[in-house]
Amino acid sequence: MTRSMVPSVATEGPVLTELRLEVRAFLAEQIAAGAFVPHVDTWLTRWDRDFTRELGRRGWLGMVIPTEYGGQGRTYLERFVVTEELLVVGAPVAAHWVAERQIGPSLLRYGTEEQKHAFLPGISRGELTFGIGMSEPDSGSDLASVRTRAEQVEGGWRLTGTKVWTSGAHEADAFFALARSAPPDAAHRHDGLSQFIVDLRAPGVTIRPIISMAGDHHFNEVHLDGVFVPDDRVLGELGSGWSQVTSELGFERSGPERVLSTFPLLATAAQAMDDGRLPTDVGLGRHVARVAGLHQMSFAVSTALEAHENADTAAAVVKLLGTTEEGEIADYVDTLTASGWALDEELDTLLHAAILQRPGFTLRGGTNEILRGVIARGLGMR
Amino acid sequence: MTDLRDLAVPTRPDPDLVGMLTELFDDYRSARVAPTEVVDLDGDLWRRLDGLGLTRLTGSEAAGGSGGGWLEAAALLGIAAGAAAPVPLAEHDVLGGWLLEAAGLANDGGLRTVCRPDPSGVALNVTWARDASSIVALWEDRDDWRVVDVPVDRVGIEERRNLAGEPSDTVEFDLGDLEAGVVVAHEIGEQFHLRGALARCAQVVGAMERIVEVTVDHARERTQFGRPIGRFQAVQNLVADVAAETALARAATDTAVARAAASDWRDPGMLFAVAVAKSCAGHSASVVVRNAHQVLGAIGTTLEHELHTLTKPILARRSEYGSLHEWDETLTALAASAGHDRLWSLVTTGRAAPRRPH
Ligand SMILES: Cc1cc2nc3c(=O)[nH]c(=O)nc-3n(C[C@H](O)[C@H](O)[C@H](O)COP(=O)(O)OP(=O)(O)OC[C@H]3O[C@@H](n4cnc5c(N)ncnc54)[C@H](O)[C@@H]3O)c2cc1C
Repeated sequence: MTRSMVPSVATEGPVLTELRLEVRAFLAEQIAAGAFVPHVDTWLTRWDRDFTRELGRRGWLGMVIPTEYGGQGRTYLERFVVTEELLVVGAPVAAHWVAERQIGPSLLRYGTEEQKHAFLPGISRGELTFGIGMSEPDSGSDLASVRTRAEQVEGGWRLTGTKVWTSGAHEADAFFALARSAPPDAAHRHDGLSQFIVDLRAPGVTIRPIISMAGDHHFNEVHLDGVFVPDDRVLGELGSGWSQVTSELGFERSGPERVLSTFPLLATAAQAMDDGRLPTDVGLGRHVARVAGLHQMSFAVSTALEAHENADTAAAVVKLLGTTEEGEIADYVDTLTASGWALDEELDTLLHAAILQRPGFTLRGGTNEILRGVIARGLGMR
Repeated sequence: MTDLRDLAVPTRPDPDLVGMLTELFDDYRSARVAPTEVVDLDGDLWRRLDGLGLTRLTGSEAAGGSGGGWLEAAALLGIAAGAAAPVPLAEHDVLGGWLLEAAGLANDGGLRTVCRPDPSGVALNVTWARDASSIVALWEDRDDWRVVDVPVDRVGIEERRNLAGEPSDTVEFDLGDLEAGVVVAHEIGEQFHLRGALARCAQVVGAMERIVEVTVDHARERTQFGRPIGRFQAVQNLVADVAAETALARAATDTAVARAAASDWRDPGMLFAVAVAKSCAGHSASVVVRNAHQVLGAIGTTLEHELHTLTKPILARRSEYGSLHEWDETLTALAASAGHDRLWSLVTTGRAAPRRPH
């Protein structure tokens, strides 16, 4: 057989197309009503609890969560088209992003009944928001080296350590912290890690802002000073934290947010070319083609995941190419503009934000260098 | 819960056919003697394929074909290209055979190639013209498109070769022959360019997928500094990009093929889908060709090595049926006229939805 890294392409069925149009019409109304101003990279930088709750009311959150836990009992593919529609118009989706993409599915897979009932309905209504506490000052790509300690005490655990780059921690209700619950064993470095559900308002939690180069506050340093986590807030199995955080990577890496963070800029540039505010240039077509190809690839991976096929390497391919492309779009539009040229406010704002967010695209959630390693392993080279 | 098939339908060609073709062309490749600088038609292979019904895979059964569709045709073109098989499957079947059927002209099964002569009756870069028994020409005659099947002894052929060393001749027709062609529907004339471009994409992607194999194998086998070069992260990165770009070209091409197969080319989004395939495959080709040669080292630059039998045709074919630049221009025009509000609809369906009333 030929060596194909990505599952077969799939044709979108009528159920998805209808859902798309429904979401699209709602978003057009919202924009017309001034409910939000379209922006780039909104899944990280635009936190809006009201908008998130409105999506919950419309049944567009908790889509893969079964109805018994307050969700919609729908599919990953339906969630896929909803998230695409939200991203391409630059809607403010950061408040629910992490909960919807990662926390909900992890709880479904590893959570206890009590945990599912405690968190999933709130996530589905858009009322409970989450962050991810994985990275630390000395642990980035080498995540297994995390040093946050979890010490067993009466009735639970005490967590001590520092998490960094925690997006939205200053807004979120809780985060999943990856911590060492058993001493490191050099021969089995992935053992002894566990996941804890930490209330970010609990005593001993200190959250300090880290200001981005754009001057914005979206990520934080989260210091845990003996924070108590009761036994019933351990996620999954003690010591299985590593396999739990890596098992959902297929969904995390292949999603539309790895391709579409700058789509609002691309759309604005297309309009500007048509209006003569930007010079006509074939690069537009090249980028539109790449986005279209990546949209198909991302959809193919989601279809395979929905059918429970393993698509980890394919997901790494989508993230590698997609995050590169969304950054290339920013750079491309920048090369078309001239300083002092009378650009409109809208294009300017989106372009500057995209340029300043770009470095993060190829870092967050596994850097492109790490992803190339994943692909090389998938090809049998390591 | 909703049935997966109501949500998304994966499209793949019949796995039995793919298995059979893969085996056939793997055998062909392993049995082949060393590559040559010029590449001539392999008549033995052509006759074998003919015996298996593969040279008229997409012909209707009534017209002596095998009744295959675009999914099967694209699989055959890709797998044959992966073996660098010098046979005119695209020209004879997918393009020439189709035009003859569309025009209601008889097809005696003799080897065909195909072209679109200019108003003066000249066609450039006609692959395999010298090997054909007759040439199917599509000609724009003022407001009409005409199709004519002209025996080679009635045309002038100046023999040339393309970058891949394949026959790619200049053909001069007698204007009288072209004027006597059968008038066909406009959509036939318009589809020809799209079909030709997509056939080239299928071939480009098939060759890229073989390059992934060649590159990975080499990186695992070649040892320097006491270990396989594939252990070096720098080499892994080169190969990972070859594989990733190939996957993107594959996804874009298969999407266009799936739309063509599902709608028999009537989907109004075909122009966009083919343009996306041509653009993605063409730009990916730059990375794939460049990186593969870098990984293979000096051996990959030699005539005896398989690599150039793949890289040269990739570069030759990405410039056929419209240069990369022309396709990017088409996409740019489509995107700009879709504008801000309809660009996404263009990306997902190939059509810009009607403008919303304000
Ligand atoms: C915008 C943004 C939001 C984020 N949000 C969160 C969040 O909410 N929660 C959270 O936990 N984390 C978050 N992160 C952190 C993110 O996951 C890390 O940045 C990422 O894992 C890389 O770690 P690092 O930044 O420490 O870089 P490092 O790991 O120090 O890497 C620096 C450079 O070295 C390269 N490198 C490292 N190791 C290797 C290797 N083995 N081979 C080749 N190259 C290598 C990297 O590719 C990179 O180019 C966020 C990051 C960004 C940019």
